Order: sequence, then C-alpha cells, then structure tokens
Amino acid sequence: MDLNELGESLIQGEVDKVAELTKAALDKGVEVQRILNEGLLAGMDVVGQRFKADELFIPEVLLSAQAMAAGMDVLEPALVGAGLKLVGKIALGTVKGDIHDLGKNMVAMMLKGAGFKVIDLGVDIPPEKFVEVVEKEEVQLVGMSALLTTTAPAMKTTIQALEEAGLRARVKVIVGGAIVTQAFADKIGADAYGEDAIAAVDKARTLLSTV
Amino acid sequence: MIKSSYTTYATPRFRILSDDQIHEIHLASLEVLERTGVEVLDDEAVELLRSAGARVSNDGKRVRIPSYLVEAALRTAPKRVTLCSRNGERTVPLEDKKVFFGTGSDTPFILDSFTGERRRSKLQDMINAAIIADYLANIDFHMGLGLPEDVPAETVDRHQFRAMLLNTKKPLVFTAHDEVGLSDIIEMAAVAMGSREQLRQKPLICLYAEPTTPLCHSQTAVRKLLLAAKEMIPVVYTPAPMSGATAPATMAGTLTVSNAESLSGLVIGQLAQKGAPAIIGGSISIMDMRRGINCHGAPEQHLLSAALASIAHYYGIPMFGAAGRTDSKVVDEQAAIESALSCLTTAFAGANLVHDVGYVGSGLTCSYDMLVMSDEIIAMVKRIMEGIEVTPDTLALDVIDKVGPGGNFLLQQHTRNYFKKEHWIPELIDRNTYDKWVQLGSKTLGQRVNEKVKRILSEYLPEPLAKEQVSEIDAVIARRERSKAD
Repeated sequence: MDLNELGESLIQGEVDKVAELTKAALDKGVEVQRILNEGLLAGMDVVGQRFKADELFIPEVLLSAQAMAAGMDVLEPALVGAGLKLVGKIALGTVKGDIHDLGKNMVAMMLKGAGFKVIDLGVDIPPEKFVEVVEKEEVQLVGMSALLTTTAPAMKTTIQALEEAGLRARVKVIVGGAIVTQAFADKIGADAYGEDAIAAVDKARTLLSTV
Repeated sequence: MIKSSYTTYATPRFRILSDDQIHEIHLASLEVLERTGVEVLDDEAVELLRSAGARVSNDGKRVRIPSYLVEAALRTAPKRVTLCSRNGERTVPLEDKKVFFGTGSDTPFILDSFTGERRRSKLQDMINAAIIADYLANIDFHMGLGLPEDVPAETVDRHQFRAMLLNTKKPLVFTAHDEVGLSDIIEMAAVAMGSREQLRQKPLICLYAEPTTPLCHSQTAVRKLLLAAKEMIPVVYTPAPMSGATAPATMAGTLTVSNAESLSGLVIGQLAQKGAPAIIGGSISIMDMRRGINCHGAPEQHLLSAALASIAHYYGIPMFGAAGRTDSKVVDEQAAIESALSCLTTAFAGANLVHDVGYVGSGLTCSYDMLVMSDEIIAMVKRIMEGIEVTPDTLALDVIDKVGPGGNFLLQQHTRNYFKKEHWIPELIDRNTYDKWVQLGSKTLGQRVNEKVKRILSEYLPEPLAKEQVSEIDAVIARRERSKAD
C-alpha cells in the first residue's frame, strides 16, 4: 500500500482523514512500523522542515500535529501489540499561580504530534501535583510553563519539591514561557529550556536519549 | 458678513469603525457574555454576579451575564477619570478623546543605555526610568519600566512602586502582586499625598490588572479589582489578547472577545462599588504565526487599538491603549517605524491612557533610548494633531499681497508672529546640511538619542519627597518584609 497519501493528508492537517487512512492501512495488513515511519513520521518530518523554512505557520503545524496524534491513537494498540514503545512520556503543566496555558497547550500538541504520550495536568499546578504524577506515572520528562514573572519562581519550587521527594534523578525537567530564558533555566536547575513549541520537541527528544 | 453652517476641524479626523459597526461589536460582546459567559475564579465576585442576576454554572465558575447588567454597569461607571500629579495638579483628565502617553510596566530585562547589552532589570534601573519619565515633556504618566531582580521577590511590587513614587511626580499606573500588595501600595501613595482622603481627592495612582484571554478572570486579578473598586482607586482592568491564538484570527472577533472581557470586569467592579473609577480597552494585537510572539508593533495592533478606542468612546468610558513600543530587540529603524506608526494612529484614534512607551523586544525589555526617541515622535504627533487653523489672519491675504510675486516672507512681521506657533521645532531630528552634520560628528538619530539619555541621567534631579514621608513609605515595606519573614 502507498503510504504517501497518508503522509500528504497529515501535511494538510486533515485530522479525520489521517485517522481513517491509518485504520485502512492497518486493516489491509500493512506493517505497523511502516505506517508509522513511511506515513505519519514522514509527513511530520516534511511539516517540521517546511515550518523551519518559514513556509508553514503555527496553526498549520498544530493541525498536522493533531492529525498525527489522531493517527497515533489508531496505531497505539497495534504498536503495543507489536512490542514497540512510544517515543516517551511527559507530564506537562502551567505552574502554581498561573492560568495561562496557550504555550503549554502548543507544546502538548507538538509533543503528541511527535509521538509522545502527554499527561496534561492543566493550569495552576502546585509542586505536590507534579511530584504526585512523577510518583504514579512512569514519566521520563516533566515540562513546566509560566507566563508571568511572578509565577516563574514556582518552577524552582517545583524542582526543589521533586528533589525533596527523591524523584529528581528519575526525570528530566524542561521549562518554557515568555519570560523564561536559558540562563533562568540553568539557574533553577532545569535540564532544558524550550524557546518555542518546536524547540521544546527537539529538546525533549534530546533529553529522552539521556534518561 | 454672515456665514452659514460653517464647520471647523480643530484636529484631524479619523475613524476605523462606523457607528453601526461599533454598535454591532457592542451587541456581539453582550451576546458573548450572555451565551458563552466568562470564567470567574473568585467566590466573592461570583456571588456578587449571581445575586445581581447572572447565571452561574453548577461548578460555580462559569458566569453568564445578562445584557441588562452590562448596561447598568455602563450607566454607573464614571465617564471621566482624572489622574493627578504628586503635587496635586490634575494633569491627566481621562475623558472624551484626550490622549496621554506613558511608559509600560514590569519588563524583566533592560537594554542598557551605557553598555548596549540586554540584562536583567535592577532597582536602580527603575529609579533611572522614573527620572527620565519625569523629565520628558511628552510623557504624561509613568508605569514602572522594570522588574528588579535585586529586591526580595515577595515584596518586589512595593519596591517597584517606591522607585516610581520617589523619582517622578507624574501620575502612576502600577501593578501589584495581589490584594495585600495593593493595600500596601495604597498606603504608600496615601503617605505621599498626605492621607487616604487626599489620595481619593487627588488620584495619583491607578492600578493595572488583567483578565486572562479568552474570557477568564483569575482569582488574583479579581481580588485586586474588587479591592481597588471598594477603595475608589482607578483601575485599568483590560486584556492582552493575541488574535489568532487567544482570540479569533479576525479583527472583529478579537475586538468582541476583548470588549466582552473588559465589560465583564466593569460589571464586577461596579457591582462591588457603584461609580468606581474604571478604564477599559487593552493591549490588543496579533500572535505572529511564525514565531508565536505577541506582536507589539504589528499594523493590526494599531488598527485594533484604534477600533477599541472608538468602542470606548461609544461607551464614554476612558480607554487604555498602547504605543511607542516595538518587536525589534534594539532601538533601530524597525523600532522607529513601529513607534511612529503606533503613536500617530493612537493619537488619531483618541485613546486616553496610552502606555508602553519605551518597550522593545515585544514587551520583555525596556529601553531608555526607545523612551527618549518616542518622546520626540510624540512631539511630532502632537503637532500633527493640532491640525490647521483657518482664520482671516492665518489665511494671510494681506501679507501675500504685500510680498507679491517673487518675494519672500522671511522678513514679515506675520512670519515672526506665527512661525514658532505653526512650525514644530525639532530637538533630536536632524535637519543640518551635510557638511554641518559631518562637522557635528556624523551622528545617527540613535546616537543623539543615547546622548540625551545620558545627559538627563547626569543632570536632571526630580523633585524629592519630604524625608519624613520617605521614612514612612519605607516603614510600610519594612513592616511587610518582617511579617513575611516571620
């Protein structure tokens, strides 16, 4: 089966069609690994390249990521059945005191689009909640977002809470948000800083290889 | 001589929206509030809304506001809010289409005028910003222009306010962490004005707090809004929507969402205290669809801001706008273009309280050079806004006849009488001949601006507050820091 149509449909951001084509491919007995690599991931690669070349814009990339996630939902049981693992698992949240979630949601969509399993904790998330999710779920990564200068310090508090709970070594921490910088990320002891949603995915991939 | 139906334009005229279009956006905003509603994350505010007739969802968060509540708030909110200088002069009457420019707040970074580097903001930077804002003739009010890293994080808002209060006598628009911070700041301002009563009589300060677009009122923001309303402290409660991301990609949709947010804040404030002074509007723009940033210099920002001003005029409520800012990281050609277009458009539109002069890097960084350059831009804008006076004397028929064909007007008394009034005289803009310009060092506008920044900081001393007042203000901060340490 030609998987180009699936890839092309993903590039166009056709969420329902990507799910349908993924299912059709599975029904026809196409190998799971091939559907993932030659269909979905191949399409997402093109999207990433075109975005970096300023040919695609954020809403188009996010729609493609959403289409990718829809395809992954269809594929996931078969992937697990074939003994293949998801890319990685990340818990994301906007830190305590902050209810801005645009950036965090964009990162969540992009990560899902890159094949990550994303646990989106939501907004105004206290350190305890981050600790709890690391304890209970097998996440490799924790992502924190903050827009406000008054709430960014909560990122540090959360990292400290992970340390106190003895969980810091188990996960890598990535941070982002309008006022966050690499210097700030270094200062509070985060492992990485994602300057935008695309960079966050790249950084998350890199971090994962070190877990 | 009798003249009939003769019309005079004292200023240029400018409209983005017709009366019908403004009314349509008003109705659409009411529909959003009635149909979609807003999220209100504070029990007291939800209760105020519920008992006034709003419908509250079962989880107690989503509030749908019937139109008559908005109409009632629009009736009780004052049509004018006057801000005063520290010595009690009523310098900033926010009413009708009167335009006032001021700085912006809470920039975590500063573009250092002495080293050229972008670095974290410090307390001394905020002091310097206030001194420069106090000096500049075209800056009418001051916001902090900094978020210092070298003071205790828990009380940074009080330290920011102290730096403003002590170093400029211009009206202050400030931010506070929460209602405790707000009440400390009110106390500090009351010391400067003599008493709470004096502060109420001569409003030196105006709180800035914001709803979270789209359609959310956080608890922190609402607590501050309620306290300010009860204390009759003027409050700018306005959103910062990004068209295409936190608001629809269309200009009309973005205006509707923003207006619904402002109006729902107005309802909450007026329910807490009828007649509480309020300012609507917002820092309204688009998200850049390549980079994801909140654009501070986009043409859509100027367009939306001007439209929002028209909507505020329709309500007769003072409006908060933004200009004199840029997405450029430095004070360069882009910064000059974006500042000039925004200052001119916003003045044309008649926005009242126009903030953010001196922002670079999409609002994350302050620059004294940007502030000083924009001061010159505002001076040019003011001249344009004076329009053209047409009278028998300005038509100058006698002097035209006297000089006649081939003569010149330089030696005429008429010229002497009028040129300083009718011609704007630049301070930083260069009009030298080429040779003279070379002789003066071949300096760019940026270099001349930077020299002025340094000159102000080395020569200008703002009017100080009395020592006893300063110690009382310091005592407010010290008391809070002790209680936080306990």
